[in-house]
Amino acid sequence: MPVQKFRSIEEMNKAPLPESRGSDFERFLRHCARWWAIAPKHYPRGVFKFRTIEDAQKAREKHLPKREV
Amino acid sequence: MRVLRAFESAGLEYVLIGAAAMGFHGLVRATEDLDLFIRATPENIEKLRSALRVAYEGDPNINEISSADLLGEYPAVRYVPPTGDLYFDVMTQLGEVASFETIDAEVKDVDGTQIRVATPAALYRMKKGTVRSQDHVDAAALRERFSLKDEG
Repeated sequence: MPVQKFRSIEEMNKAPLPESRGSDFERFLRHCARWWAIAPKHYPRGVFKFRTIEDAQKAREKHLPKREV
Repeated sequence: MRVLRAFESAGLEYVLIGAAAMGFHGLVRATEDLDLFIRATPENIEKLRSALRVAYEGDPNINEISSADLLGEYPAVRYVPPTGDLYFDVMTQLGEVASFETIDAEVKDVDGTQIRVATPAALYRMKKGTVRSQDHVDAAALRERFSLKDEG
């Protein structure tokens, strides 16, 4: 079933996803590999320490890929 | 997978959370990090260092991951390896409640490697209460996919 046609977005969202190759984790790895290939990364290398998960999250946001407006 | 195999070989006691764990449960989204809780003991932290040394041979930064930090003032440590494609958020404690011991987990087998992954319900409990918007999206997806209900 290479092409599916829908009369509305709602109908499309309800449709089951086509069967994909491999396990869920393999799909996850492939998906990440594609993302890493197209999204520039700005993380400095090394070890960083945080007192809380919130601090770790703030640091992560500082290094998100820059987006053109 | 190379790193997860190294974790198993080193005997690291860990549980995978975050997007990678979501992926194991069929909820696939991209991420740049691997989030894991580890058992908070000096021996286990040494196993973590050993595993990372196998996976990222020759990276001197691994020596900066210390028991004093992870068992003390810094329960969250981020390691960005030289490859730069994936980084690790290693935690021993999340707030007052979540730790390796308190997170319900199941073991998944990937090509003969045993991987300990947080259950959908455990992920939902962790994600629903945070302020991060991505966690709210994840929590909603988990709730819908696994028909999870809030505990009273």
